[in-house]
Amino acid sequence: MSKTKNSGATHYEILFIVPNKFTEDEAKTVSSQVEKVIEENDGKVTFREFWGKKKLAYEIKHNAYGYYSLFEFDLEGENLAKIDKNLRLSTDILRHQIIVKKAKSEKDLAHDKLIRAKIDSKKATEEKSKEEKTKKAFAPAATSKSKEVKETKVDLKDLDEKLEGILSAKDLI
Amino acid sequence: MTNKKTKECYFCVNNLEVDYKDTRTLRRFINFYMKILPGQRTGVCSWHQRKLANAIKRSRVMALLSATHK
Repeated sequence: MSKTKNSGATHYEILFIVPNKFTEDEAKTVSSQVEKVIEENDGKVTFREFWGKKKLAYEIKHNAYGYYSLFEFDLEGENLAKIDKNLRLSTDILRHQIIVKKAKSEKDLAHDKLIRAKIDSKKATEEKSKEEKTKKAFAPAATSKSKEVKETKVDLKDLDEKLEGILSAKDLI
Repeated sequence: MTNKKTKECYFCVNNLEVDYKDTRTLRRFINFYMKILPGQRTGVCSWHQRKLANAIKRSRVMALLSATHK
């Protein structure tokens, strides 16, 4: 049960819908049949997931509900067309979609982890700076005001001295 | 829909891959009429916008998203 690629084979992902006329257990057997089809054509199923009953976004052949099932598999050669044809012809499946999936190597996974750690640390620092900002918003208001008051006081004193100086000078004249 | 002020690519910033099964995130890039929003509106980089458009179309095929709002 892994989502990584084995060897030189291409990695595929298949999602298909089983109609609502089946029960959940029957739908599971249908999906196991699909797995058989893949394995008959030399595919290796590496990941299985049964989503269960879901409402379809629109009706498909008068089915409002369906069972979703997801497989990931490795396949070499040109057997994909066979699998596709087999599933297209079967009446037990409403719709299916096979997609080439870029399998991640261990190197890629490690790289992803690194980037994730970086993003997390960045978010943490941003939150910290936000907290500090909110703290500053309350505290610094008082200090800045007191500074202004002091400055004005100093200014007043200087002005007084200057005025006195000027006045005394005028008296002399 | 991303905020107009922050024009950062959602997928680049969060190091995410566009997945056609993840309808909850895809829904952010579709308008009320289920139309795919343009790249200028979504703020997603052009490389990811192309992947996004493909993913939305794929999920429409599998009836995970509808093509119309009704």
